[in-house]
Amino acid sequence: MMENKRRLSFISELVEPNWRFWSLVVILLLSAGALFLYPVSEYQGYVDPFYSPTVLVLPFIALFRLSCYAYRKDYHRHVFRHPMACLNDERMDSSKRKYTGETGFFALNNFHRYFFYIGLAILPFFYYDFYTSLVYESGFFIFRVGSILLLVNALLLTLWTISCHAFRHLIGGSVDCYSCLSHGSGVKKLFNGQSLLNRYHEQFAFVSLLVVVAVDLYIRALMAGWPVDFTFFKIAI
Amino acid sequence: MSDKVTISIKRSDPSKGEAPHFVDYEVPTQEGMVVLDAVHYIENNIDPTLSVRWNCKAARCGSCSAEVNGLPRLMCKTRVDKMGSKISIEPMRAYPVVKDLVTNVSHNWEIAKRIPPFTPKPGLPKPWKMAAIDITRSKEFRTCIECFLCQDVCHVIREHESNYLGPKHMVKVAALDMHPLDSIDRAGFLHTDGGVGFCNITKCCQNVCPEGIHITDNAIIPEKERVVNEFYDPIGILLHRRKKK
Repeated sequence: MMENKRRLSFISELVEPNWRFWSLVVILLLSAGALFLYPVSEYQGYVDPFYSPTVLVLPFIALFRLSCYAYRKDYHRHVFRHPMACLNDERMDSSKRKYTGETGFFALNNFHRYFFYIGLAILPFFYYDFYTSLVYESGFFIFRVGSILLLVNALLLTLWTISCHAFRHLIGGSVDCYSCLSHGSGVKKLFNGQSLLNRYHEQFAFVSLLVVVAVDLYIRALMAGWPVDFTFFKIAI
Repeated sequence: MSDKVTISIKRSDPSKGEAPHFVDYEVPTQEGMVVLDAVHYIENNIDPTLSVRWNCKAARCGSCSAEVNGLPRLMCKTRVDKMGSKISIEPMRAYPVVKDLVTNVSHNWEIAKRIPPFTPKPGLPKPWKMAAIDITRSKEFRTCIECFLCQDVCHVIREHESNYLGPKHMVKVAALDMHPLDSIDRAGFLHTDGGVGFCNITKCCQNVCPEGIHITDNAIIPEKERVVNEFYDPIGILLHRRKKK
């Protein structure tokens, strides 16, 4: 029982904001290095998620992440320490440091919605990559471990994107009188369903990023000749 | 659970010029005891001059707010056996102390006056009718017991000078904005006089709410998104600008 509790607490620690934020920073730095020094865009039908659809969209995706409400919470807490935690701050140094919240430079976060539009437009490419991995050998339908990884990656990125607060607003959050709309009941149901996902937005943000990196590393491992590929079945079509 | 617990209370009496200082009290524990029980024990058996505001002792009235072990909580909803062998109790730091654990929260009534009030759509037939589907969102906000723990934990209110209303009042604004019969949009007010930009979404208010209201996710962020609609997103303005009629 105690062991279970400890394990649960470790898992909740893992998805705590500090892990999420610093992993984003480390991943952004590592991937920038890897993309410039050892570019791997595609291998045996697997398209690296950093290159989907083109590496040129990466800055927008980074801005989508950085202006996301989950990450905003993280860097305001762990970089600027406004506040670092909810417990009262015994140092009381925060009031002496300048604070503008999201009225100054960080008012730019209000453009999160534009990056969301870009993120939404990019999502189908991840499913296309999954499809490509299945049919990359002409005349065959081939199902491998990597295809599962690409599908999981696409699903998690979808969950993170559609659980976004900006999306929540656009699909029904801005409506005050659902009964005044001809299709109000449907809009409210859509809003309620999205709200269920939105509750886990921070977790989706963290896990989806980890999986992007995992897929990238997997493709690099394949290129390096590691025996990590496994074909479930291969059918002639 | 040990037989006794040390309760360390930050005491002060500004009317007599008494500076804040911690006083330790040994209190015998009982099964199911809450922090307010321990404070009552001190008041009734050790030091009757201790001042504390309380009323229902059932987490309904929002009177017994304090900072227990450094975090804003309702004393009547905080079990002693979960808080360790030494428990510190301080008055809410965001407000001026009247005496001991009693603070003056009247500043909130001044903030409340700044919020554009409920303004019904003109020409509504009486009695006013609302569909159940339209009140489910603001129903959550109606459970607010005005304990002001969220205001107290908000670092913007507590540590900085700004015109930000604070989480409790953002909940009020959201309840009004999402009201199906209300006719005005408060995004402009929030963007300027309401100081919503000062909230940096660190979610402490949501963490301490004893009613479990999703203050940040369901009130503040939706209101921020309305501000984005009005001031930052031309597509949003075109597609979703709310025109209440």
